[in-house]
Amino acid sequence: MTLLSLKDVTKAYGGVPALKGVDLSVAPGEIHALMGENGAGKSTLIKILAGVVAPDHADIQLDGQPVEIGSPRQAHSLGFRFIHQEFNVVPALSVAENIFMGRQYPKRGGLFVDWRKLNQAARDTLQKLGISHIDPARPLGSLSLGDQMLVRISSAFIGDDGAPARLYVLDEPTAALSRGESERLFTVLRELRAIGASVLYVSHRLDEVMAICDMATVVRDGRSIDTGKIADITHDDLVTLMIGRRVEEAYPPAIAAPRGETVLAAQELGIRGGRNVSFQVRAGEVLGIAGIANAGQRNLLRTLFGDLAATGGSMVLAGQAYRPRSPADAWRAGIGYIPRERRSEGLVLSRPIFENTTLPHLAAQSRWRIWLTPRREKRVTSQQGELVRLKASGPGQRVRELSGGNQQKVVFAKALLGKPRLLLLDEPTRGVDVGAKFDIYSIIRDMAAGGMGVVLVSSDLPELIGMADRIAVMRDGAITDIVAAAGLNEERLLNLCYGR
Amino acid sequence: MLTVLRRYGTLIGFAAILIFFWISLPDTFMTARNWLNISQQMSMLIVAAAGMTIVMVMGDFDLSIGSMASLAGIVAAILFSFDYPIWAAVSIALIVGLAGGAVNGLLISFVGILPFVATLATLTMLSGAAFVVSGGKTISGRVIPEAFGNFAREGISLGNWGGVAVSLPNLTIVALIVAVLVWVLLEQTTFGRRLYAIGGNSEAAHLSGVAVRKLKLIAFALTGGSAALAGVMYASRVASANPTQGSGLMLNAIAAVFLGSTLSEHGEPRLLYSIVGVLVLGVLDNGLTQMSVDSNVRQILVGGIIILAVSTSSYTRRLR
Amino acid sequence: MTLHNRAIRALLAGTTLAALALTASSAMAASKIAVITPYLAQPGTQFYVEAFQAAAKGKDWDVNVIDTAGDVAAVISRIEDMVNQNVDAIVINVDPTQVTAGLQAAKDAGIPVIGMDAGADPLLVTNVTSNGYAMAAETATYVADRIHGAGNVVMFVFEAFPPVQVRGVVADAVFGNFPDIKILDHVTPDVSDGGIADSRAKMEAILAANPEPGSIKAVWAAWDQPALGALQAIEAAGRQNEGIVITGIDANPQAREAIATGGNFEATVAQDFKGIGTTTADVVTRVLAAEDIKQGSIYVPTQLITASNAAE
Repeated sequence: MTLLSLKDVTKAYGGVPALKGVDLSVAPGEIHALMGENGAGKSTLIKILAGVVAPDHADIQLDGQPVEIGSPRQAHSLGFRFIHQEFNVVPALSVAENIFMGRQYPKRGGLFVDWRKLNQAARDTLQKLGISHIDPARPLGSLSLGDQMLVRISSAFIGDDGAPARLYVLDEPTAALSRGESERLFTVLRELRAIGASVLYVSHRLDEVMAICDMATVVRDGRSIDTGKIADITHDDLVTLMIGRRVEEAYPPAIAAPRGETVLAAQELGIRGGRNVSFQVRAGEVLGIAGIANAGQRNLLRTLFGDLAATGGSMVLAGQAYRPRSPADAWRAGIGYIPRERRSEGLVLSRPIFENTTLPHLAAQSRWRIWLTPRREKRVTSQQGELVRLKASGPGQRVRELSGGNQQKVVFAKALLGKPRLLLLDEPTRGVDVGAKFDIYSIIRDMAAGGMGVVLVSSDLPELIGMADRIAVMRDGAITDIVAAAGLNEERLLNLCYGR
Repeated sequence: MLTVLRRYGTLIGFAAILIFFWISLPDTFMTARNWLNISQQMSMLIVAAAGMTIVMVMGDFDLSIGSMASLAGIVAAILFSFDYPIWAAVSIALIVGLAGGAVNGLLISFVGILPFVATLATLTMLSGAAFVVSGGKTISGRVIPEAFGNFAREGISLGNWGGVAVSLPNLTIVALIVAVLVWVLLEQTTFGRRLYAIGGNSEAAHLSGVAVRKLKLIAFALTGGSAALAGVMYASRVASANPTQGSGLMLNAIAAVFLGSTLSEHGEPRLLYSIVGVLVLGVLDNGLTQMSVDSNVRQILVGGIIILAVSTSSYTRRLR
Repeated sequence: MTLHNRAIRALLAGTTLAALALTASSAMAASKIAVITPYLAQPGTQFYVEAFQAAAKGKDWDVNVIDTAGDVAAVISRIEDMVNQNVDAIVINVDPTQVTAGLQAAKDAGIPVIGMDAGADPLLVTNVTSNGYAMAAETATYVADRIHGAGNVVMFVFEAFPPVQVRGVVADAVFGNFPDIKILDHVTPDVSDGGIADSRAKMEAILAANPEPGSIKAVWAAWDQPALGALQAIEAAGRQNEGIVITGIDANPQAREAIATGGNFEATVAQDFKGIGTTTADVVTRVLAAEDIKQGSIYVPTQLITASNAAE
């Protein structure tokens, strides 16, 4: 039995094919994974389902009846609900208002919004997802990113008459969620499956897919490569299908690098919104930072990077007192930084690769700090591009035109130019496909082997365990433990994060 | 094909306008004399638009340049009436421009007011200041040194062309110098590179060590300074100063930069394109006047062309 | 491609249409005349220009009226464009000292420029205007006559604006010829809010300083707004029956109304805007006929407005 069936979907943008023939079939009461590298065509497929993009050709059937999806409104009336990567919310409005946006608010006297009823309805909706800690009256913008995502998800889960819709399409829903928040979401998805709704689940996180999905369809280069039961497939098979070649190891082998001098020592460093922390990073060492969402990791990195002023304590960088007052100071002191949000914080998408790469280093990459030397910049950028295995048509290509993984490599090329002493990484593989992920891990390894100190913040626990030498666990703005990564397992690390 | 259109649509349109006028006005349009006229007529707008380009590169804009130009003209004229030498009066007027622009920059980058609101407020203030300083009158006649008025009337002789003495007007030369300076600043220096980065993504630029607030302050100061220069040029051309005479510059400058930015591949403002934008506006004014087209109809056409260019550009961009 | 092609074609079609519509009549015309002003939106200018166009109709001219919407530098640009077009004559309505650059270009090209209430300038063939001297003399002699050449007179003047300054000088000369007329004060009102309010305040102070009936015989104002302000002050002080005579100049609608009611405000002078336009057309005809015009200014008669003709 089939709920939704797509056959031979093709779509080209301005002559460039994005989909060359995709088949997808989702059964009722099934959680179906849609897998593929960035640029494989997943987003286009979802946009077609949502009625945002018109396919060049497609046979779409719902319950065996041919249907057309001409507009988002039509998609909605067919029972499709979408939860996108990009939030579509109004931060200034309350949680309840965001959940019920575009729907009828409960009214009093036919005219005035019944706020109490609205908030109660929102609370009920959240409750269905097992969320009780969010006050529906609060402005959405005051919540953590993870909580905002949960609200966004809840909003898609209310049917028009309280009944769930037929197909939920979730595009990387857990990217901003902590472990606990993700678990709650999975519980809800399983409940939906139990009552007969279907879920199309797009994620890069293979572990998640393996854990909650029933079926998987893999797309590569605009074609559907394979569909099968998750139970019949291994983690490695999935990876091989997605990237078209075998990746032997998820993490490149650690190179036994001699642990050198202390690169950075933080002594009772005061973090805004957190507590004082002390730790050291040595040359050639990867220090992982673990913790549930918003445990203070981001502010810690921003303090190290001079974007947030330290509220106390001191830092010593390569033997010198280090008191950065701006990111410019940090770059000058030899610190490279990979911010969490690559598109909004890491890159100037509208500018070419070389301008992005040299931006923090313009003083050194120019003549007398004033005159641009684009030819030299491009040469240097090409070298950096090789270092990070960047795939681009040349240093003059606009960053916007690159895939997510290659964009992230540009951020690395930028951070690594001029060989920093210390590299700060905030979720460096977030939203990056499997192949590029491996490249990024290799770069981190190479840099550490070359004597760079690395601080790696990640919510991906296997990544931390696989990449870090030591892991500092943060909880409520403080470092609670610093443990060796060798021999650590996920469960143990998770317990440390929750303080159990 | 679409790419060609997106890149060169405005240029093609400009060429079409030129050809149209050339055919319609065979004797008078495509002549050296007419083009020197146009260059002189547009010189003030070129300076103002060049300054506007500096802030528009950062994704900001400055509504106050028109009243800044008026104020600068008034300041120079008032100083003339106190017998200041020309160089001193002009320098002080330019300093007033830089300072006024720096105030804009301060409000926008350090206080954090939106450029629209901040420069709208300074527009009103500067305009009020121009009225207060001048007493609401046009300053003209004997207080304006003859040499100051003559400057806009003279130029470097290019010899006799077909029996007519032709010269390159001083105002055109000033505009060219400003255009070259701003071009070098935006395209050849680290300053310009950083401004483009701010325009593309100011958060990413900040995290890449760009001193966003300081650069914004400097950029707005430069815009104010060039507005003041445009105002002084205007005062020289009319050998007088009036508290409202610069007010037409602001909208035309923004229009020229927008029109020009449709030429660039990614829609960002660039100096050379802004100058093409100015030329489009100037050629339309010149050609349509020569064809005796009613001035109000002319304005409708100019507005229509801006909408056409910008919408064509964004439409083709969307089709990608 | 199609989109853009269509757009360009539409643009060209639009321009062509507009241009054709406006140039079609000109193809046969003998003389091209350009009228350039930044002030077309102002009522006075509209009167001149309309009268000029009406007079031009019978003459088979091609008249191109160009408005630069307040932009004086653009007047220079448009003069340059017209010189480039080699028109037969240019009429301007703007302070000639501000457009010297354009006038010089016209002169170099041998194209005559005529001022229409512009101001006298050596670069103009002539300037057609109302006679400011005569207007001031007209109201000053009216006042002197009404008070039988004796008594205190308050004068409202404005030195900073040359056309108005002239009026004060003439009135002074007229009053100076009557030994029994004493000028109580030369008042310069603050004109930033139009002049009425401050004139009223200044007049109230003068009335307070001269409380006896008959101590002020007349108020002579160099233009209508101070006259209206003085009228308000006198009425507010309850001294409207002392026979204080008020005169203004310009005959704006508010002044005409006040005069028509038959109160203290007795007279003003109206410029003949239409006459200025018609006379300018005549001057252009003479210039085109190669007549040498000697006067730097050609004056169009003005009309004294009193209660008997204020309503017209």
